[in-house]
Amino acid sequence: MDETPFQVDTRGEFSFPENHKFDAGFGLTEATIDYICDAKGEPDWVRQFRKDALRKFNEMPMPTHWAPEGINNLDFDKIRYYLSHGTMPYKSWEDVPDDVKRTFERLGVPEQERAFLAGVDAQYDSETAYNNMREELTKQGVIFVNSTEGLREYEHIFRPWFGKVIPVTDNKFSALNHAAFSGGSFIYVPKGVKVAQPLQAYFRINSESMGQFERTLIIADEGAELMYMEGCTAPKYDSATLHSGVVELVALKGAKIQYVTVQNWATNVYNLVIQRGLAMEDAEIRWIDCNIGSGLTMKYPAVVLQGRRARGEVVSISLAHSGQLQDTGARMIHAAPETTSNIVAKSISIGEGRASYRGEVNVLKGMKGCKNNTECDALLINPASRTDTYPAISVNGNASAVQHEASVSQVDEEMLFYMQQRGLTRAQAMSLAVNGFINDLVKEFPMEYSVELRRLIDLEMEDSIG
Amino acid sequence: MDFPQNMSMEEAFALAEAEAKLQQALNASKERFDNAVLPNRLNEDWRFGRPHKHAAALAELLQSAAPSQGEAEVKNAGDAAVRVSEDEADLRQTEQLMPTIGSDALLGLHLQRFGDGYALYIEEDTKEPIIISYKTDSLYTPATFIMVAPGVKAHVIEQHYGSEKGTIFATRNIQVAEGAELKVELQPYGCARCMVITNIQNMGGKVAHYSHFFACDWAREETVAEIYTPGADIQLFSANKLLLNQVLDQHTRQIHHAGGAGSNLLYKNVVDDDATAIFAGNIYVAPGAHNTDAYQTNRNMLLSEKATVHSLPGLEILADKVRCSHGSASAPMDEEQLFYLLSRGIPRTEALNLVAHGFLQDVVDKFERS
Repeated sequence: MDETPFQVDTRGEFSFPENHKFDAGFGLTEATIDYICDAKGEPDWVRQFRKDALRKFNEMPMPTHWAPEGINNLDFDKIRYYLSHGTMPYKSWEDVPDDVKRTFERLGVPEQERAFLAGVDAQYDSETAYNNMREELTKQGVIFVNSTEGLREYEHIFRPWFGKVIPVTDNKFSALNHAAFSGGSFIYVPKGVKVAQPLQAYFRINSESMGQFERTLIIADEGAELMYMEGCTAPKYDSATLHSGVVELVALKGAKIQYVTVQNWATNVYNLVIQRGLAMEDAEIRWIDCNIGSGLTMKYPAVVLQGRRARGEVVSISLAHSGQLQDTGARMIHAAPETTSNIVAKSISIGEGRASYRGEVNVLKGMKGCKNNTECDALLINPASRTDTYPAISVNGNASAVQHEASVSQVDEEMLFYMQQRGLTRAQAMSLAVNGFINDLVKEFPMEYSVELRRLIDLEMEDSIG
Repeated sequence: MDFPQNMSMEEAFALAEAEAKLQQALNASKERFDNAVLPNRLNEDWRFGRPHKHAAALAELLQSAAPSQGEAEVKNAGDAAVRVSEDEADLRQTEQLMPTIGSDALLGLHLQRFGDGYALYIEEDTKEPIIISYKTDSLYTPATFIMVAPGVKAHVIEQHYGSEKGTIFATRNIQVAEGAELKVELQPYGCARCMVITNIQNMGGKVAHYSHFFACDWAREETVAEIYTPGADIQLFSANKLLLNQVLDQHTRQIHHAGGAGSNLLYKNVVDDDATAIFAGNIYVAPGAHNTDAYQTNRNMLLSEKATVHSLPGLEILADKVRCSHGSASAPMDEEQLFYLLSRGIPRTEALNLVAHGFLQDVVDKFERS
């Protein structure tokens, strides 16, 4: 029955008892930051940096004038900001603590690593538990470590770009992440190196009321290429869990970065992630984004097209069930001439679920020959399902062209009837129709993920209709 | 409350209930104005609209001692037109209940100056369009009320003339009964500042609305089109050419309270020089308003390097079995069209004008055919 080569638990609805060496407790204060810095053994400039960010976080208002109302229920004092087994990741599976190992084994991480990945970074609560990369890549000069190690060992590369794509004061959650960041990946691909197989990060929240603030910085030097994938799961608790990551990508001249996310958090997770890439001359950044889990997701992957002929793309799929709000979208800032961007977003609302597209396309003054194309399609499954579209498109000058289209539709009754008549159940027919709706986007994911994705959607559809 | 003679118990109850509902709504609207703050940068409905500059300037003028004064004139109305005066309590209430798009505080200031404009009670088909015109060289705050009786076909044109210093801030309330057909045009001309808040309430008729702003330094148009009955249809059109430093800030809501109805919007702008065009539209399909057809199209032609366009087409769909779409495109003039004309010996400036004119004329044609 299982068409995937792996027996994988994609939902991750299980947990192990907590067994932490470090626990910073609830709430975020200067003392919490001191605790985190001491645990990680960070230099003074990082400590000061975090404290400055905390001050900004406290000063900045919530984005209540535009954000979905659900965000007001988030209580920053009821979140635990740092939980870990230890600050050094293990480089071999054998050494990883048993409960963590069993978690990732259940999620299929080691099999996937053997089968098709070039490297893995597995984060458990606040810190990376396991990190490994194929040897030949190390020889080529590729760096793939967690952010703590990146700051310690490769400060000369890390620091100049740290917080440059997404500054501290970008918004309240950016300031929060700068204050409390822990885990996430640091990747550097040297000039001209093309990493053929994907690098993967796996984010796992195990503990209750956890706040995960991973910090990822990926730098692709001139002409380099890589694909990075992240997966996210967490068990379901009654209390709220916060995931507020910051992901910065830098694609230097002619580089290509593809960033794939499959997010399947439990519905008590607030998923508030800031992802932004900087594309220099002739560079290309693609965000391939799939949001299935979490109670409230606010996520708008962005590309700042900073160099001539740079290209940005966002491919986004989101699925919202009852009790879920997927507020996803994309941002494209055309800050150089002849830059092009493409956004394709598809959403599915089931039951009382709500899926929103929120986007921004901005062609700055004096930029010539820029082009953007945006398409958003929404599918409503039940009478109580909801979908919204809130794009903002700004064009300066008469030398660029942008177009935006959105449509809302239902699964055609005749199509369902046709399939049911041939012996499919209604749930199977619906599932097939939904898979057809997102088929062209699923193809954008790596093979292993796209198979997984289809299976996930089948499961979700069966639950809601069958 | 005094009930008319010969009223049945049911009728009396219904009347009492309606009165209570109205009172409730009025109390709610009082609260709305009491709590309203002038548009600021956190007001999403004024995004890109520079409220600290434009809304503040209008508010300052409305709060000043400057009287509201201008000329109001109506043509071809017969008995249908009534000049609005301060004593028209019902009309004042109607204005009080009007929705705005982020400008409650400004509507509150307009209400304080209530007492001029025209109310049209159209009970017979109009042979010639009824023309209302408002004219001022200072500050003028008229209110227009158009009510079209069941099955009646009407055509109304509203013109606003302002001088270099003229500010016209008008509200318009349009109610269309079942089976009625209304074509209505709005033509502001030459104002330093022009703000128009329009509310269309469609109870099962057909409404086509067309606005054309010409030579206004700053203009903001808020149009809330509401559908209450299945079978109703609303078409919103606008075509504008912006020059110099002109700013046009247009906001629309197509609200489907009831299903089985349609609405369509087509707004086109040609933006030249340093001008700015803002379009923010939203289609809202209420829960249960199934089988709705709603469309929205915004197209902009940019003619100069300094021209700016902001387009925010939105959808909020809370019902099933709907067909909704929106499209927005902003681009320079099609070089091929221009080349076609140039190759036939038409001078460049003339060719440019022709193509731009053709781009906008499409809207006028569609309005006329609707």
